[in-house]
Amino acid sequence: MNITRDQGTKIITILTVAVAIVAPFLSDNLYLLNLLSLMLICIIFASAWNLLAYSGQGSLGHAAFFGIGAYASTLIATASGITPYITIFFGAGVAALIGILIGLTCVRLKEWFLAMVTFGFAIIVQTLTVSILAPMTGGWDGISSPRLLSPSIPGYQFIEYYSILLITIATIIVIWYIMRSRLGLAFSAIRENELEARASGIDPVRYRLAAFGMSAYIAGVAGALQIHHIGYITPEIYSVDLSFWPVTYVIFGGLGTLAGPIVGTIALTIIWDGLKMAGITFARYVIVGILLILVIIFLPKGLVSLPDRLKEWWEGRNDASPPEAGRR
Amino acid sequence: MVDIGILLQILFWGIYAGCIYILLATGLNLIFGVMKIVNFAHGEFLMIGAYITATIFLISGINPYVIILLAMLALIGIGAVVERLCFRPILGTGKLNEIFLSIGLIYIFQNGAAMVWGDEWQSVKSPYEGIAVPFGPLNLPLDYIIIMVLTAAILALLFLFLQKTRIGREMRATSQNRKGAMLVGINVERMDVLSFGIGCALAAAAGTLWVVSGQVFNPYMGSIPAVKAFAIIILGGLGSIPGAIIGGLLYGIAENAAAYFLGGVWKDAISFIILIVVLVFRPTGLFGESGE
Repeated sequence: MNITRDQGTKIITILTVAVAIVAPFLSDNLYLLNLLSLMLICIIFASAWNLLAYSGQGSLGHAAFFGIGAYASTLIATASGITPYITIFFGAGVAALIGILIGLTCVRLKEWFLAMVTFGFAIIVQTLTVSILAPMTGGWDGISSPRLLSPSIPGYQFIEYYSILLITIATIIVIWYIMRSRLGLAFSAIRENELEARASGIDPVRYRLAAFGMSAYIAGVAGALQIHHIGYITPEIYSVDLSFWPVTYVIFGGLGTLAGPIVGTIALTIIWDGLKMAGITFARYVIVGILLILVIIFLPKGLVSLPDRLKEWWEGRNDASPPEAGRR
Repeated sequence: MVDIGILLQILFWGIYAGCIYILLATGLNLIFGVMKIVNFAHGEFLMIGAYITATIFLISGINPYVIILLAMLALIGIGAVVERLCFRPILGTGKLNEIFLSIGLIYIFQNGAAMVWGDEWQSVKSPYEGIAVPFGPLNLPLDYIIIMVLTAAILALLFLFLQKTRIGREMRATSQNRKGAMLVGINVERMDVLSFGIGCALAAAAGTLWVVSGQVFNPYMGSIPAVKAFAIIILGGLGSIPGAIIGGLLYGIAENAAAYFLGGVWKDAISFIILIVVLVFRPTGLFGESGE
């Protein structure tokens, strides 16, 4: 049987969505359901980071936008009484606005200076949250956040799961659309060669800002979703750890591809929680670190490139030709 | 008006804090100069150095200022291994890739250390704790003075090594022009290992000084000082050791001033505010050239 690449992708996509839809019925374990909800949120977060990386910019402080979206949505929902389902998008708007402001200082910088600035920005935001903004944010103690759905509704976990799933799918469709539109083409042009992009009439500053704003918006949606799902927010949300996770997920899955963040997040969640069930704590970070380095060195395009690499290797073996020298 | 004594105090503590940043930033500068890589995990070497010193000190009771040599030697070894296994395979694949790899290293070192030594905050007592030298209106802790002198000595030795020895000159040549150095027969890969090892040893020295000054440490202590050290070398000019020294002192003093005038939570944020403000006006850093 011969399946073309396109058909294969379609089949896998449909299968994944189908599994995501029936998953809650496979077991009545609420812990697992919660885990799946959090995983979906991580997929949104990782996709947001990936969109920024798609335009050639690497952020090490995406927790800032994740957290700003969460805090803004919580504060708006608490003050106005509007359902979190709506305030999520306002909160993310605040994150996007601040994202564009910080982007303004960043867009002219070299790629790794930008990583430094965003890293520092998360720390600055955290400091502001616990000092000047403490009367609003509750300082280090944090504040409670309105739940997406009241726990008094029967089966609210299921409804929550499906709404998160819906938002995840919508986000991925939007990112897919962005990536194949003119905008996405401009992003990859800037990433590959800024000088040539400029020569063909693309204004790198404007497009980078656009990428920054969109990525911050989506990260803000993810942050707000997570906090309304958990019901409590503290400044720990700006931690370095949370800034590094989307990077790890995306690199693991495949940088700059639509499927990368999804594959990476699912694979790492399985590894991570599998190790947790085996009773391993600190060592799981070590294991993830080693896996990350191995992927960077031996599989620079991430897990999504694994099938192609295996196929190449298989065909190379059948041809009995001398193996191609790996990386140049 | 603020009391002159307090200003002097801030200055003195700032210089002491600056010593640790200078050692970190100089090491990073050396590595960046020769290999042109961005190692965000540099602070983990400071952490490992701190733990090696603390462990040897607690077991043997040797004067911790002597252990600094052992810690530096150990970190030259660890650094060489990390360079060979992790950074050499991805040399030249882009700065972002190096940063991503550093994140993996950070996971490994931080949590590896937590497995060995536990993740609680610890501290050790220096043998000179409590001894102070009167200086004008201030009482200066003897430990801090020793730390400043030691930092100056290490930097002087490094300077002599880079200027006067053959290997030092080869290293500078590699840093100026890698291809040119190769053409005149310098083994640039050996220079990579050496510079990475020496950079790590400087981080280990910083870690030792951190421990003996009585500051608390835990496995996660390293990441923020390392990023600050990067901020310092961006401000001071990539590859410039005098720039790293001036930047390190500036950061130490600015942080202590911020902690005093604005409150302790601002200690970390102020460094990044300085970085962002400077980069807004000079995207290549204060003394930076367009370079890498």
